Amino acid sequence: MTSEEKTIQRDRMRFTKNKASSGLALLAILLNVFYFVSIYKSDVGTYYYTILIGASIIYNLVFMLAVFLCSEGVKNYKASFGYAMIVIGALQIIRIFILPMHASKATIVIKEVETIVMGPGQFTRLLVYLIASAACLIAGGIIAIYKSRELAQHEAALEQKAA
Amino acid sequence: MAQLSLQHIDKIYDNNVQAVFDFNLDVKDGELIVLVGPSGCGKSTTLRMVAGLEDISAGHLLLDGKDITQTPAKDRDMAMVFQNYALYGHMTIYENMAFSLTLRKEDPNVIHKKVLAAAEVLGLTSQLNKKPSQLSGGQRQRVAMGRSIVRNPKVFLFDEPLSNLDAKLRGATRREILLLHKRLGATMLYVTHDQTEALTLADRIVCMSMGHVQQVGTPLELYDKPANLFVASFIGLPPMNFFDVKVDAGKLVHDEFSLELTPEQKETLKDYNGKEITLGVRPEDIVAGGEIPVHVFSNENLGMNTLVHGHLGNTNTPKNKITAKLRGWCDYKEGDDIKVSFKTMHFFDKETTNAIRKGDN
Repeated sequence: MTSEEKTIQRDRMRFTKNKASSGLALLAILLNVFYFVSIYKSDVGTYYYTILIGASIIYNLVFMLAVFLCSEGVKNYKASFGYAMIVIGALQIIRIFILPMHASKATIVIKEVETIVMGPGQFTRLLVYLIASAACLIAGGIIAIYKSRELAQHEAALEQKAA
Repeated sequence: MAQLSLQHIDKIYDNNVQAVFDFNLDVKDGELIVLVGPSGCGKSTTLRMVAGLEDISAGHLLLDGKDITQTPAKDRDMAMVFQNYALYGHMTIYENMAFSLTLRKEDPNVIHKKVLAAAEVLGLTSQLNKKPSQLSGGQRQRVAMGRSIVRNPKVFLFDEPLSNLDAKLRGATRREILLLHKRLGATMLYVTHDQTEALTLADRIVCMSMGHVQQVGTPLELYDKPANLFVASFIGLPPMNFFDVKVDAGKLVHDEFSLELTPEQKETLKDYNGKEITLGVRPEDIVAGGEIPVHVFSNENLGMNTLVHGHLGNTNTPKNKITAKLRGWCDYKEGDDIKVSFKTMHFFDKETTNAIRKGDN
């Protein structure tokens, strides 16, 4: 790419939205929804009947709201929302070690039969959802930070030129 | 840019209503043609047929010699600007202008250059990040034009683009369109019912009525030499005055006046001796002083001119009504009797309504 093409590409950012970051954030929400609807099963007795289920539901609601706000923020090249996306992405990784990891190792006795709470298939699926969602958020955040810096530099250069 | 040729174009709707009859027109490269006429005369239908938004019932449409009668609208390489702007409210001005090129999957960098260039021409650079709802009517219309410009089409089509604007903005935007036409040198087809727009913008005007072309010519030709009563009455503001007169031994005889014809006028009307014709006189061709009696019933001072409304002599009938645009500030009162004379006269055949000109017969 020539320097002129690069300049035009930067200049385009003044009038276009950061659809890449915003799209990745929305994809992360979608993957999180897949995770959320896949984790709980009704045939494992009272395993999930703890405070964790309530906390998990609240976290998911907050997650969706926060990521949606981030998607709007990064759309307009606001770097701070990019950082927030990276943090939320990291939290998605941490979530693997809370519910899914514990459930994959846990067993529960139902009608005197020891039952596995989470089979390896389900665990892998949840792992994929969370990792993919985290990857989307981190990638979207990094792109947002990079683009917003580029745009800021370009606008500063334009202002200098005008002065 | 392009040459456009409309050959024997007809438009007949499914309910057998014919909107356009045998429309013929050759538009030269870079020419601005204005289709003018009252509502329902078929001018917008003609434009929509050229754009490909309406099927052509009969005839041929040629662009640069190529028959595009059956070509779909998207492949005609024409851009249309609508009266209601047709902008996407949820998109920014930049996105609106870039939209058609994005659909064509053009290189984003090329799109960017084209949009910025068009915005520069139209003075919209500082508005590119705004939404249409944040702009004035005139600015929105400029965006609609910008959307056409970025496509660099062969022909620009305008369908009453200034009708939604107030009078002041209409004048300003009209001048912008004229400048744009000069700058781009583009072939343009412009539809309006406003004769001022037609006279100020057009290289040539096509005057239409009831689906028929009444006259094609330069603005001056239509004003000075109207082909028939319709064109004479439609072009000019206030409209032309018409009186029924009799040609009698070198004179024009009316109930209220009698005018001696010049040798040239006698020659023009030689075949009408003893017959009734329609005399047309533009209000601005009436001057104070003379032999023709006018009974004043209203006086409108416009600063440089005065519009005097009245009737000839003492007979107040619709056929005797007269409007004169007299120079300067006049203070006539209702009921005043004044005398006027006619500077220039137009003659029309009473039966055919066509203009009577020397050598026509």
